[in-house]
Amino acid sequence: MDLTKPNSAAPASPTAKKKKSQGPIRFEAVVPFGIVVALIIVYFTLFFDRHLKNSFEWLGYLAMGSEVNVAQLHTSFLNGTFRMQGLEITNAEKPTHDSLKIGDIRFGFLWDALLRAKFVVEEIAVEQIEIDTPRKSPGKVKPPDPPPVKSTQPSQLEIEATKLKNQALKKTERELQGNVFGDLARFLNSGGQGPSLEGLTQNLASQKKLKEIEGSIQEKQKKWQDLVSKLPQAPEIQALGNQLSQIKTSGFNSPQDLQSSVQQFESLIKKSEEKINLVKSTSGQMQTDAQGIDAEFKNIDQIIKKDIADLESKFSLPKIDAKSITKSLFMPYLDPYLSKINHYKALLDKYIPPNAKTSKEKGSNPDEEFKPHPRAKGITYEFSRPNSYPIFWIKKISITSQSKGQPQTGDLAGLITNITSNQALIKKPTEAQFTGGFPNLNLEGLFGKIVIDNTASDSLVDFQFKVGSYLLNSKELVNSPDVKLGFQKAKGDFSIRGNLKSLSQINYSLVNNIKNIDYIVESSNSTVKDILVGVFHGIPVVLLEAYGEGTLPDFNLNITSNLGPEIQKGFEKQLQKRINEAKERIQKLVRDSIGKERAKVEAEINSAKTQAEAEIKKVQDQLQAQKSQGEDKINQAKKDAENQAKKALGEDAQKKIDDLKKKLGF
Amino acid sequence: MTLLLKQLFAFLKLLNSDQGTNQIAAGLAFGIILGFSPFLSLQTFIALILIFFFRVQMGAAFLSGFFFKFIAYITDPLSDRIGRLVLENENLRGLFISLNNMPLVPMTRFNNSIVMGSGIIGLALVMPLFFLFKVLVFQYRQQFVSRFQSTKFWKLFTATSFYKWYAKYNELYG
Repeated sequence: MDLTKPNSAAPASPTAKKKKSQGPIRFEAVVPFGIVVALIIVYFTLFFDRHLKNSFEWLGYLAMGSEVNVAQLHTSFLNGTFRMQGLEITNAEKPTHDSLKIGDIRFGFLWDALLRAKFVVEEIAVEQIEIDTPRKSPGKVKPPDPPPVKSTQPSQLEIEATKLKNQALKKTERELQGNVFGDLARFLNSGGQGPSLEGLTQNLASQKKLKEIEGSIQEKQKKWQDLVSKLPQAPEIQALGNQLSQIKTSGFNSPQDLQSSVQQFESLIKKSEEKINLVKSTSGQMQTDAQGIDAEFKNIDQIIKKDIADLESKFSLPKIDAKSITKSLFMPYLDPYLSKINHYKALLDKYIPPNAKTSKEKGSNPDEEFKPHPRAKGITYEFSRPNSYPIFWIKKISITSQSKGQPQTGDLAGLITNITSNQALIKKPTEAQFTGGFPNLNLEGLFGKIVIDNTASDSLVDFQFKVGSYLLNSKELVNSPDVKLGFQKAKGDFSIRGNLKSLSQINYSLVNNIKNIDYIVESSNSTVKDILVGVFHGIPVVLLEAYGEGTLPDFNLNITSNLGPEIQKGFEKQLQKRINEAKERIQKLVRDSIGKERAKVEAEINSAKTQAEAEIKKVQDQLQAQKSQGEDKINQAKKDAENQAKKALGEDAQKKIDDLKKKLGF
Repeated sequence: MTLLLKQLFAFLKLLNSDQGTNQIAAGLAFGIILGFSPFLSLQTFIALILIFFFRVQMGAAFLSGFFFKFIAYITDPLSDRIGRLVLENENLRGLFISLNNMPLVPMTRFNNSIVMGSGIIGLALVMPLFFLFKVLVFQYRQQFVSRFQSTKFWKLFTATSFYKWYAKYNELYG
């Protein structure tokens, strides 16, 4: 039966050997197996570290969006150790520099946990941290990802249009921020007179609205005239009266005669009622129209107010309020920090699991022993018990760094504890804290603390960051063609604290003190310059406070500073009177130009309403009179018939009584 | 790749011979373990070691494993349901907690519903499949190979010098 053997027809080979029967174990496999094991050992000894290093660099590049370099990486499978040296993360905004450089990272993992398919590290040491260090060669920066193309998403064109729109809005916003001081300078340059008023009142929205209302009144008047013409006219009402007078109201010969008259009366009254109803419905329609016109007319006051505000903005009347001044001054100052926050927020949004963002999905009491995680393929259950290992747990990360006179290196000491996949199991939040400074960069008194608590149903992130002292060099606050403001040289301290609930509800406050200030004050207008120099001279310490709250990615930012009210006071003395005068001029201009038109339209509305109402009332009164007359007549006829019947009945009874008296002989 | 092809040719050669019925049936039955287990798991590693060190036809095991991988993909919803039923069973909770905290056992990824479900299906079918494959191999040899050998084409082919040269080569080095 063997196809591989010559069949019986084939000549038998004299060299054919009988094969030895083989046992169930394949002993000859020991050598190949040994070779495979040896190859694996050789790979892990010679190549694994290099491949892991390359993987770190590649994944780091993808995750951070800029080149990540690792100088050396060494792992030991038997000792359970890992060591990475010379980690450099390129600054995406300044590729010639590293945003972060770490000299040494090393840790050992627990074999005990690894045998249970869990990764537990007792301690990670992080040493020699440097920031903003120049690179040997500029790092590669990843181009931005193309936006996802989905049928439900807006088209590329729409996305580009939105982007352009946002850019334009942002630009306008920035320009407007600097304009508080620009407006002040221009206002002073114009001597508080502002531009010519001629021609500004030609395109007022309130005027257009009044014209619309006027047109609308004419239309309604036409409509009302049509409606009135369809109402019963005088001859028609007169005919009703004539018909009423011809109906017999007395001298009824029989009850049938009376019944006939009553029916005629009722028919006429019904006709009158129909006509009255027609008049009522016409009146209702006209009232609705009139109410619509009234509502439109009332709205005109709001439009006039808006017209005044628009004209004020055309006049560039400066706003001398502390809030606008503070915002105008400090938004450009805070912009770099806000864009950094946005950058890291985008990274967080990209990598955080979607279900981690809402606590409700987790339920109110997270079960530490039985925790299913939905997965793309099936469900993975976590069968844990108290004091068992979670899937991932780094117990401690120690950060130490000494500057040793190197310019970009800092003196840092920090501790991060309990980074884990299951805080509920170990019943400990993740905490990170560091202190130190970068003396060579004039950055001292650094303190940071962050607590990520996921043990409760709602995750809570508390953060606090302080800079004891830092140096400000040539920091511009306002740079417009009219005014230039900033700090030539200053020292500051900074602190921010806040919390993030359920990774969405943010609440924060920021305090920034700037002292030992050498101000930059320049202006095209000498009065503005004098005011600003005078104001700034009396402010040795600038205090900036910002606070906000909201739901990510939208949160508000409120800024207050002692600089705002001081500048407000300085300008108020000089300018408020002139600004008020200019405002009054504008208001008068609008009222004068709109006032006559407004009165005219109001009179038209009233006249149209009165005229239509009078017409209706007249017709209604006439019909009502006819109806009342008919009702009176019918009542009278009924009464007469009743009296006549009573009288006939009385005569008949008297006669019968008299006959009876005669018979009885009275 | 060469090793894999060599194993597949060896399987075809053995299938058409009159030897190694048990080896082939065991190889084909082991395929269900390979096919129904995740590639990176302890049970796959153990199955490979067994296939390697015991006289199981490797070509048959890999071919069968490849085939059963598709079957496992189709039966994933069923495996998921079985896995959930077992893993969510209150009476087995203590056992699973102990297993999850034992060395090596978590590497089987038994706590995944699909892995657990397909593991149960694979283990339940491995022995019946061994006997089924044994019968099928026997039937194949009886019904197909012997009939083919009696055809004129085969007799003509075996009479060619090429076949004689091959038969000699196979006898000496095969």
